[in-house]
Amino acid sequence: MAQIPLLLIQTAFIIALAPLVSGFIRKLKDILRMRRGASIFQPYYNFAKLLKKDEVVSRNSSWIFAAAPVVVLASSVAACLLLPVSGIRVSAGVMGDMLALFFILALGRFFLALAGLDTASAFGGMGSSREMFISSILEPAAFVSLFVLSMNCGSTAAAALAGTQALRASTVVAGAAFFMVVLAETSRIPVDNRETHLELTMVHEAMVLEYSGRPLALIELAGHIKQAVLFVILGWFFFPAAAGFSWRALAFFAGMSVTGLAIALIEISLAKMRLFRVVDFGSFAFFIALLAAVFASMGM
Amino acid sequence: MGLALILGGFLVATFLMVVAKRITALIAAFRLQSLCLFLYVFGMALTQKHFELFVVSALVLVLKAVLIPFLLARIVRRIKVEEDLGLIVNPQVSLAVALLLTYLSYVFARSIIVPQEALRLASFVVSLAAFCAGFFIMASRMKALAQVLGLLAMENGIFLAAAAIAGGMPFFAELALFFDIFIFVIIIELFVYKVNRLFTHIDTSKMDSLKG
Repeated sequence: MAQIPLLLIQTAFIIALAPLVSGFIRKLKDILRMRRGASIFQPYYNFAKLLKKDEVVSRNSSWIFAAAPVVVLASSVAACLLLPVSGIRVSAGVMGDMLALFFILALGRFFLALAGLDTASAFGGMGSSREMFISSILEPAAFVSLFVLSMNCGSTAAAALAGTQALRASTVVAGAAFFMVVLAETSRIPVDNRETHLELTMVHEAMVLEYSGRPLALIELAGHIKQAVLFVILGWFFFPAAAGFSWRALAFFAGMSVTGLAIALIEISLAKMRLFRVVDFGSFAFFIALLAAVFASMGM
Repeated sequence: MGLALILGGFLVATFLMVVAKRITALIAAFRLQSLCLFLYVFGMALTQKHFELFVVSALVLVLKAVLIPFLLARIVRRIKVEEDLGLIVNPQVSLAVALLLTYLSYVFARSIIVPQEALRLASFVVSLAAFCAGFFIMASRMKALAQVLGLLAMENGIFLAAAAIAGGMPFFAELALFFDIFIFVIIIELFVYKVNRLFTHIDTSKMDSLKG
């Protein structure tokens, strides 16, 4: 019970920090491209601006369209509550393990896809269909790579997974697979491109095309939070948990910035894949994760 | 622990070779595999404080990670070979086969090496898996250059096994081996060049048809 305030502080911290991570990646990309770019606080400005704007809703949309942003944001925040941040060990662990965490995130994605279909615009439907296609391909890789952590520590509880078994051959290989999942889930370049609204290539942006004003602000915030949650989970694979608050804080910030840097480098150096190449991408991630499972069964 | 991570990298690089669809990607993956091999031998040299191992690791770096990929990339540029590898097994199935081979290597290795020596067991598994994967690349890719890279991957696997199990071969045997590999690649380069000029392709599946 004494942990509840700490848990709330931690969740508020992640929510407050999440847009900064997005701004940081965008700034890194701009620097690497020799551009000046927007400030790293731009996502906060966007959020504040969108909150002030009016909303335009299609006459043909139903309650799903209105409910989806709230559900998406709620799912991201709920995932945050279940997340032990690099070994702080504070999470609503009794409420669910890391499987619950992933299915809560999937609930948000489900509602976003429904909302894309709801307005019956061609782009929304296309975006929903692609999003579900991509996520169904990447989901096995996500789960198998997390199960590698479970095989090492003998539990699926998120608190047990967080960093206790990091930096072994199996977890590093599984981490490589999970990194590919993170690229796809946060709609990064080899799979999707957040910067473009070119009609034939967008996936995530196509789903939320009909949103404006306050609901769009909520959806963007939910995206930032989901990204931060996935980055923290990626950190479980690489940063061993150890005693001492300063070490944990260091591991947290190092994980965030190294992941951000890796993603920025990949985004500026690769081209977006054709949609059907995503199958290759996903199956490679899946087989790498299985390979990590073989390593884990070898006890490495 | 560092060596275990390098082994993981070696196996991932091997899988990248299996999944590669284009010849340049295959060469890049081979370069990565050789780099992991160099790191492994260098790490062993550091722990064992063995002078000969330093020389061997330097040779791995220069020959396998730099010179051989460079020669292969040059022949690709020179004969302007089309990029595809003549896959007769698609990348997904290839990966599944490679994974199965890795698991079988593990089952086989477990009957030879006691599981208490985890690192040695893992090294043997990884080298055997690389050997099998190289063999699989040779069998399922129809372009001559891809088969050469499969053979080189097998060689890397055997080299890793020698380094991990026996602590390296006798020094002169290793020198001779490096020389062999180097000459082999040079000869193959010339050979592929000639074949390509004579047949206008390097697809081995079409070579059994007579050409007048």
